[in-house]
Amino acid sequence: MTITTDGRVPVEDWSAEYGAELERHVTRMLGNVEEARDVVQELWITALRTEPDSGEGSNIRAWLYRVATRRALDVLSARKRHAGLLDARSGELEPDRPPAPDSVFGALSSEAVEGIRGAVRSLPCKQRDAVWLRWIEAKDYETIAERLGCSPESARANVYQGMKKLRIQLAHVWREEVAV
Amino acid sequence: MKNGRCEEYDDEDVLAWVLGDVDEAEEQGLTAHLASCSSCLERAAEYRALEHSADACRTGPVIRWRGFKTPFGTVRIAASRDGLIDLSWQMPSDDEFIARLERRHSETPVVCDCDELEPAEEQLCEYFDRERRSFDLPIDLSALTPFQQEVLDATARLGFGEVATYAEIAERVGRPAASRAVGNALGQNPVAIIVPCHRVVRTDGTLGGYTGGLRYKKVLLDIEGRRDLLPTAEQPPLF
Repeated sequence: MTITTDGRVPVEDWSAEYGAELERHVTRMLGNVEEARDVVQELWITALRTEPDSGEGSNIRAWLYRVATRRALDVLSARKRHAGLLDARSGELEPDRPPAPDSVFGALSSEAVEGIRGAVRSLPCKQRDAVWLRWIEAKDYETIAERLGCSPESARANVYQGMKKLRIQLAHVWREEVAV
Repeated sequence: MKNGRCEEYDDEDVLAWVLGDVDEAEEQGLTAHLASCSSCLERAAEYRALEHSADACRTGPVIRWRGFKTPFGTVRIAASRDGLIDLSWQMPSDDEFIARLERRHSETPVVCDCDELEPAEEQLCEYFDRERRSFDLPIDLSALTPFQQEVLDATARLGFGEVATYAEIAERVGRPAASRAVGNALGQNPVAIIVPCHRVVRTDGTLGGYTGGLRYKKVLLDIEGRRDLLPTAEQPPLF
């Protein structure tokens, strides 16, 4: 392994340095070595394309864990949704070929998209505003609080209440879509 | 783990992790925890799936609104992604303004504005302060009938302080006999002031009506230096 002058492991050596432990981490999440290997492979591509800022320095490992974990969560939710599709179509799709997460989320039907908007629409005003500004537009809580005329704590509470409702409603939306 | 629920982290911790509302130590703690806790893992996957559907909202239709103080009272404005769709000072509260938007645009989420409508607020305030003579703001009239759109387009061409009669507007949209229909179309102008329906008056020299209240039409004409159109000796009742 080579080390650059600032003490960091260069991108091309991350795989050798962190590959094995990341694979174990993702395997524990997914319960499947093959899929874990795919996730970690993709992680190297992501890392090469968008190398984290040098400011993160020695925290490359933390960054890799974060990205790998998010990626694994995508595989899990895609798997869950795929299972729903299988149930509804009584096994018409091949069960051993779950679609890649990207294609699953990229191909939301117009009904599902409408359902998502419907779920957002049905939130109480303040929660809808808070969720939109935080979740869709990534504004900070001070900005949101100012817009809503409340404290940042209350802004955050509104985001959280709204997000919980969306999570529950969206499970419903996906079930509906599957039932079509 | 007790009854399938994690005792170390709750729903809110997981959500905070997904939203990035945690510091580095908390982030690393939960990242490691997810590999060994199926209940938190499942919850996190659900919130993560939600994140993907955010894109559908980010690009789809939305209506933003904001309210601000003016000499007319609280003016509330709303816009689609294409431009302003509503301007109103007659609604008694934010809630009623929002409820009306939701009724008229039942398919679209209505959300408070953060900064997109700032230029509209600024320009309107400048107009009220007599520091602006025209507006440079996109308008979205697509919810109106083609006739209404034509009438409002023709009206939007009237400059600051310039007036036309209902009959003249009717002529300009190629329906010379339709001045009453023109009056109705202007009465339903959703973006008063910006589309200056206050600049349209009756052929006999009287002011005609104004949905926002006749006294506001008088004030607007006064702002534009057309006190000559007001009944003799009448002073505008506002500022």
